[in-house]
Amino acid sequence: MSNHKSQIQILNLKSKLKSFAILFMVLSFGFCVLTSTVNAQQLSLSITPPLLQLVIKPGKSIMVAYNIENFGDPVILTSKLVNFEPKDDLGNIKLKDDLNGPIRFSLDNADLQLGRPFFLKTGASQQLLLRIRVPDGSPEGDYYYTLLAESTPPNGLEGVGSARAKASIGSNILITVTNSGIIEVKPKVVLFKTLGNVYDSFDKIPMVFVIGNQGKNMIQPEGQITLKGDLGEELNYDIVPKNILAQSERMIEATPSADTTFSGKPVSLVLSGFFIGVYHLSTSVTFGENSPTVFASTSFFVFPFKLLAGIVIVIVVTIVMVKKFSKNDDED
Amino acid sequence: MSNHKSQILISNLKSMIRSFVILVVVLSFGICVFKFTKSADALDMQSPRFRIDSGNVNTAAGDKSSASYKLSDTIGQLAAGQFSSTGYVVKAGFQYIHSIIPFQFSISNINIPLGVLTPNTPSTATTNLTVSFGGAGQYQVTAIEENQLKTLSGNAIPDTSCDGGLQTCSTSTAAVWSSTSAYGFGYNMIGNDIPADFTNSTYFRPFPNLSLSASPAVVMSSINVGKNRQSTMTFKANVSPIQPAGSYQTIINFVATPSF
Repeated sequence: MSNHKSQIQILNLKSKLKSFAILFMVLSFGFCVLTSTVNAQQLSLSITPPLLQLVIKPGKSIMVAYNIENFGDPVILTSKLVNFEPKDDLGNIKLKDDLNGPIRFSLDNADLQLGRPFFLKTGASQQLLLRIRVPDGSPEGDYYYTLLAESTPPNGLEGVGSARAKASIGSNILITVTNSGIIEVKPKVVLFKTLGNVYDSFDKIPMVFVIGNQGKNMIQPEGQITLKGDLGEELNYDIVPKNILAQSERMIEATPSADTTFSGKPVSLVLSGFFIGVYHLSTSVTFGENSPTVFASTSFFVFPFKLLAGIVIVIVVTIVMVKKFSKNDDED
Repeated sequence: MSNHKSQILISNLKSMIRSFVILVVVLSFGICVFKFTKSADALDMQSPRFRIDSGNVNTAAGDKSSASYKLSDTIGQLAAGQFSSTGYVVKAGFQYIHSIIPFQFSISNINIPLGVLTPNTPSTATTNLTVSFGGAGQYQVTAIEENQLKTLSGNAIPDTSCDGGLQTCSTSTAAVWSSTSAYGFGYNMIGNDIPADFTNSTYFRPFPNLSLSASPAVVMSSINVGKNRQSTMTFKANVSPIQPAGSYQTIINFVATPSF
């Protein structure tokens, strides 16, 4: 009896052993075959502040702390400065390859230098203490720079074709050098008009407003665009105070929360609602205390052409049908 | 005697089972640890990030009372406002966008393998570009190749001109590239804030070539405030049967900058 019990126990144990062996094989198979190797190397960087504006006297210097944070895989970064210039009137920039101008830049960090690589592990941040120095005798005017944190590309893959990405993240620095603190403000309205002169009452009405800066210092517009109708209605739209760099033009936007594109193209303002009659758009823009004020205006005509066309069609169809039915009645 | 033998057999089997259990546990643990360690490379870092950087307050600290400069930046709400000091003004705080999101740029994969290049069989690979720019409001991302896809010995795959004829593309204009007999290297863009000429996934452009002193191409840009704007860049290479064998490689420079 005892022998029989032992035999049963042995059989149970053998069964368990088989189960474990199968489990082991399934797990091994799953690990080796079903899982895929992931080699994506991610780069994710942030920089603050994204923009710095500085008005400074020659002979002075300041220190500004930038923070660069790595949200991706460990990365080797190099910080450097280059000049930039406006590329178009939409606020895009064109970076230059080198660094020119009288402004001197250096890092106050004990262990970091501009142009020297540093390591940033995942989740880590690095504060860059940027010293901006304007030597005595520096010419008055504006100088525009971009602080770049540039990554080192990964090693190439052997035996296959591959493209490797090198990424830079930048922050713009706008510096005005002045002895007296007086900023030259020479604005000019380049364009202030709607994209058409006649609109349907149900259409959106896009308008474009471009200001040129003919001075040697950047300026910042403040003001409103006002819409007035002949029936007395009035609407005001605040201008977004974006910088207009020296000797450049920029399309001004109004009401930052609104969508400022029309048919995929950037515009200053999109008017929407039911309008009828002649409307006048005007603007009055200043550029800070004691600055000149620029004015501009334009007009457009709005009428419910589509609604009118619909009504005419309905009337014509009704008349035709009434006449037809009348004719039928007469024949009967 | 038979009973004793059975007992020994049972004992041996129990010991073996114990060993298997330990082995499975150890292997499972190893698999888990190994897998988690590797998966760190592919963590999705695209989710919205939100961070208050108290260090920003120090950015202008100590220099604000200087009589020699005016400072206006986008570095923190605590110092927002306008201060006067001996005829000069210090401005700090966001000028028109009330946001504390830093300017952030991500590339989902910076090592883009095109695989073994087979003649007349296009190879493609993708990477995602993501920009968060609540604080900056407006941004652009540019791209340029350092040189053509080429081997160490100097054999190069030309930059694509797409299908040719009416479908000839350039660094600033995308065109259809679907012919397997049209050779070269180029890219397509799909997603947010991309150039309008990338009508669909068949439209490609060649990269501007830095070694030829070309200007970078804008691959993403927007004048509207937003965050987590994402696009997918597809790299494509197609080689002719006479293309010499080798490891063809290049470096693409991406530069993400906010506006001013």
